[in-house]
Amino acid sequence: MSPKRIRLLIWKEFTQLRRDPLLIRLLLLMPILQLIMFGYVVAVDVRNLSTAVVDLDHSATSRALESAFSGSGYFTITTHVASEDDLRPLLDRGTVKIALVIPEGTQDRLTKGETAPIGIIVDGSDSQISAVGSGYASQIVAQFNTQRRDALGIQVAAPSVDARVRVMFNPTLDPINTMIPGLIAAIMMISLMVIMSQAVVKERESGTLEQMFVTPIKATEYLIGKLTPYASLATAQMLLVAAGGLFWFNVPFNGSIWVVLVGLFLFMFTCLGLGLLISLVSRTRHQAQQAVMFIMIPTMVLSGFIFPIQSMPAIIQPLTNLIPLTFALQVLRGAFVKGSDFAALGPQMLALVGFAVVIFGAAIVATRRRISE
Amino acid sequence: MSDTPAISVRGLTKAFGDFTAVDGINFDVPRGEVFGFLGPNGSGKTTTIRMLTGTLRPKSGSADVLGEDVVRHPDKVQRRIGYMSQKFSLFEDMTVDENLRFYAGVYDLPPEKFASQREYVLNMADLVGRENELTRNLSVGWRQRLALGAATIHEPELLFLDEPTSGVDPVARRQFWDLLYDLASRGVTLFVTTHYMDEAAHCNRLAFIYRGRIIAEGSPGEIRADHMEQRIFDITTSRVDPALQWLETAPGVDEAYLSGASLHAVVPADSPFSNARLRDRLAAAGFADAEVEEVDPTIEDVFVNLVSRQR
Repeated sequence: MSPKRIRLLIWKEFTQLRRDPLLIRLLLLMPILQLIMFGYVVAVDVRNLSTAVVDLDHSATSRALESAFSGSGYFTITTHVASEDDLRPLLDRGTVKIALVIPEGTQDRLTKGETAPIGIIVDGSDSQISAVGSGYASQIVAQFNTQRRDALGIQVAAPSVDARVRVMFNPTLDPINTMIPGLIAAIMMISLMVIMSQAVVKERESGTLEQMFVTPIKATEYLIGKLTPYASLATAQMLLVAAGGLFWFNVPFNGSIWVVLVGLFLFMFTCLGLGLLISLVSRTRHQAQQAVMFIMIPTMVLSGFIFPIQSMPAIIQPLTNLIPLTFALQVLRGAFVKGSDFAALGPQMLALVGFAVVIFGAAIVATRRRISE
Repeated sequence: MSDTPAISVRGLTKAFGDFTAVDGINFDVPRGEVFGFLGPNGSGKTTTIRMLTGTLRPKSGSADVLGEDVVRHPDKVQRRIGYMSQKFSLFEDMTVDENLRFYAGVYDLPPEKFASQREYVLNMADLVGRENELTRNLSVGWRQRLALGAATIHEPELLFLDEPTSGVDPVARRQFWDLLYDLASRGVTLFVTTHYMDEAAHCNRLAFIYRGRIIAEGSPGEIRADHMEQRIFDITTSRVDPALQWLETAPGVDEAYLSGASLHAVVPADSPFSNARLRDRLAAAGFADAEVEEVDPTIEDVFVNLVSRQR
């Protein structure tokens, strides 16, 4: 191995990168766009849901319940309708997302000490709204119950625990605090796979790959020369996302920087390996793009990046263990949110080591073999 | 050292799965020669070159390049050989100068050597003053010459050229061959593959490869003498296609094919055909304007003949 030749190859790679202003802009723009998208759009909290009220009881209790909803900030009462039948068109048109139905005799039942059912109708076509909206609604009802019992001086043993749990539930902050650490890993994966696979295929298409192996350049030198520039670019992107998350979105960082760095470093080798492998199976740059898409879609869906793994069907859940990003997310989220250390993240770290060794190793072996074939 | 041949190949074989791309070939290339390696596409030319340059391991057989066993020690050979493919293999998003600097660096050329080689290449490729242009903006002839310069920047003793003139216009092809002669005159051995048969006449020695086997070898004159017992008539007519169809089935004609703008008809050595007799037959068949002239076989004639005998 000649350090001089490796330096030459790195110089060559950066020279070519500089000539591709679109790629550089994309590499810088992509993390910023994703930060904005995932920071503001996906993780946005559900607030001011337009709500319809069907008050059939017309009592002090029904009015108190209504004001508990409107006072929460999550619901804005936009209409009152006379019957449940009138709700359907409103929900159909999307003018209201949620409806509160207080049946006749609610106050009477409560006075008699009976359970009084009330209806909350949610527009289920938007799962985010329906999940969060119904969650808030039941929370408000629970709070309303507690206040009412307190006011009446009724002693109930259980509810206090329940109430405290709900206070800890912090929907406004939670999504973004887990989204941003995940984004660091996801962006690294996307850009490394895209540019790695393109870079080698491009050289194969132009015949320069073939040319270089007639010269004294060794396969190892070529690989180091190729991987170093892209690994450093990916690192720059990662830092950009991390800085954006920490300083713009004020994502708290509770863990050890070493846990994050080791986890990302291991994951980086997996991504480099995947990129290389794609470049080996692809004959053209177009094929490489398609192969990247083929890997990215299941990765995004199954890794827990967007959809929580716990909510996936039991048959699907084991599949998530085949996705390297799953473990990278667990390490990053664990370190960011919970401050988990190496001991706590041991299994995930081991999984990342396993992926790095197997995928990167296979890519190196396959590249060397392919080059000499 | 220099009395050993530049290339010596014995029983060289390469298989890809069930397909034997190169099947036990033998040949020698003496030093300082222009060796033409001819064959149709897919006949095993590129596979042979890749084994000789040490990028592909043969299944069996031996290949000595510049006195070294290239199968076992490709690294001992790589510094002393050059290679240029039909793709020209330049970094298109790098400038002329950057390409030269890269290849000079790969061979670890000292700065003063690089300076003189750079000047030589720029002059040779007619690129003085265009050092900072991206190579993708150069037209084909210039790219080809620059690629030749990059492939020879380390002054190799042996240069492999894999179809270096494909896709290049005839004028640029001629200029390119002048450059190759220039290299040969300085003692560089050239190993050139091509499927342009007219280029074969430029070579000192030729080998025909067909379906992985060498079917003829020797100087162009030897090959013509050894492999061409038949006689060739050159026929020009305004109705080429129907005339070709007629000749293909005409009694006494072994074979007929297009050669440039005219037709070539191959007849046995003892054929009673003469220019006049063949012309009469053509006229009788409705090709009154046909002109017939017996010609010496070209390399192309020999090759077509050899291939048709293999089938």
